[in-house]
Amino acid sequence: MLTKNEDPPRGPSICFEMVGLCLSNITILQDVSFTVKAGDMHCLIGPNGGGKTSLILSLLGQMPHTGRIAINWTDGTTIGYVPQVLDFDRTLPVTVNNFMTMICQNMPAFIRTKKRYKDIINNALRLVSMDTKAERRLGELSGGEMQRVLFAQALIPFPDLLILDEPGAGIDRIGARVIEEIILVLKKQKVTMVWINHDLKQVRQMADAVTCIHKQVLFSGTPEEVLTTEKVFQAFSATTTNVRRDSP
Amino acid sequence: MVSIYNSIMPVVQRLAESGWLPESLKYAFVFNSLVAALILGPVLGGIGTLVVTKRLAFFSQAIGNAALTGVAIGIILGESYTSPYVSLFSFCIIFGMAMIFTRNRTKMTTDTLIAIFLCISLAVGACILLYVTAKVNVHVLDNVLFGSILTVNELDLNVLFVISFICILCGLGFYNRMVLSSFNPNLARVRGIKVIFLDYLFILMVTIITVASVKIIGAILVEALLVIPAASARNLSRSMRGFFFYSAAFSTLSCVIGIVIPMELEIPVPSGGAIILVAAFFFAATTAIRQLRRAYPALGKI
Ligand SMILES: Nc1ncnc2c1ncn2[C@@H]1O[C@H](COP(=O)(O)OP(=O)(O)OP(=O)(O)O)[C@@H](O)[C@H]1O
Ligand SMILES: [Mg+2]
Repeated sequence: MLTKNEDPPRGPSICFEMVGLCLSNITILQDVSFTVKAGDMHCLIGPNGGGKTSLILSLLGQMPHTGRIAINWTDGTTIGYVPQVLDFDRTLPVTVNNFMTMICQNMPAFIRTKKRYKDIINNALRLVSMDTKAERRLGELSGGEMQRVLFAQALIPFPDLLILDEPGAGIDRIGARVIEEIILVLKKQKVTMVWINHDLKQVRQMADAVTCIHKQVLFSGTPEEVLTTEKVFQAFSATTTNVRRDSP
Repeated sequence: MVSIYNSIMPVVQRLAESGWLPESLKYAFVFNSLVAALILGPVLGGIGTLVVTKRLAFFSQAIGNAALTGVAIGIILGESYTSPYVSLFSFCIIFGMAMIFTRNRTKMTTDTLIAIFLCISLAVGACILLYVTAKVNVHVLDNVLFGSILTVNELDLNVLFVISFICILCGLGFYNRMVLSSFNPNLARVRGIKVIFLDYLFILMVTIITVASVKIIGAILVEALLVIPAASARNLSRSMRGFFFYSAAFSTLSCVIGIVIPMELEIPVPSGGAIILVAAFFFAATTAIRQLRRAYPALGKI
């Protein structure tokens, strides 16, 4: 790498050591150990139900995991989080602007959006090309549009560590481009990113490192090293049999 | 609080006597019930938007039923029949907290859990009520079950002032955070929101405002006023602003109209019943408007 006069990464490095997780007597994660380098774009791949979301929630301190997850904080590190879904009544009269306002301020969104947040919200929405749909109801958005709003939300305030739970799911080509572009910008700023991604082509193109999780770490390394046809085939053929067995 | 009441009341009476305000306002009970309506309406309507957003309508219904049991317990413990506040508050708060505690600790789906709590509470309430009605005049209970403006007194108003004040404070302070935690608790936590604490706080708000409304709307029907105005508002609004303010307006109008019309026409119905019927009318009307808008999009902006 060209490390001559580069800034130090603004994002933290993260170290997973022997992370385990048991929920209602089912082992969901076991002996998960790998490292996310500071400023890296690190993709997590793996079959459905493999435990990726659970691992991320453990990282966020929201799961009763065992083992150690060390985030190498500098003071004032901000985490952005793009969840997989929002769970709400789709008939609710909550607009995109209302939602973003609730993210930013404590004053109830039904009163008004404070002036200083209006521009911030508008900019974040423009980044994901949703500024023209700011007055749409959340329930009227398509899956991909919703994902973009969730992405925009994670950019306020500007994150040092960005955690994305499959923002690509249900997104069309244009939406994917929009998100790829922002991720490239964040990458330039040396934000550490952990991205759950099922799109292997995208992972090959963009990731600095990739880890495949299926209860345990199946493989971890740079995409060139580990994303060989053979390994991927192994991982996902294990999946198919598993999925069949799990689903009635 | 007492002084607020004492300072407003004479002024209103004088205005009523001199013809500035409707004549019936010179009667203390009319004044009391209208003040109660004007406070309760917006507060219930506002909290109602949260109840609907958080999908807790059924939950609040259970708390309403707990109020019934609370009244029964109060009577058996020898509190006054018309305002057994100590028992009401203690039982309902314990009940609500127990319900949310159990929900957080078990894997049971919320509706099953609520149904269980609701039935237990009704069973206990029914047993105690039938036991006490052997001793007291049954009609005393009507007031608490279905609401009666005739019995609203200074104590009730003071309780209402204090409770509403607490609810408005908590509601405005935590509104956004309460909505976000129901949208996605994980995202809320990442943003530093205390999801569990707000869960309890919200149930506490619903519980105390339910108890405070028992006298005017009645234990059985309070919950309707948490749900119906918000549902009507949802029919009309496209954003949270409309949702909240329509809901508060519908709720207030329901309270006022539900009290004034039976009184003016001298129809002897419980105030709670009348209030809910007015609210139901708003719901029907807004649903019709919504359907019309669907059919004729040109009507979109009414
Ligand atoms: N709260 C919970 N209690 C019990 N089991 C759970 C819980 N949450 C998740 N699981 C189980 O843990 C396993 C891993 O789930 P997780 O959501 O982490 O998978 P994932 O890799 O994110 O899958 P996907 O690709 O479908 O998003 C699943 O089998 C799921 O059923
Ligand atoms: Mg997942």
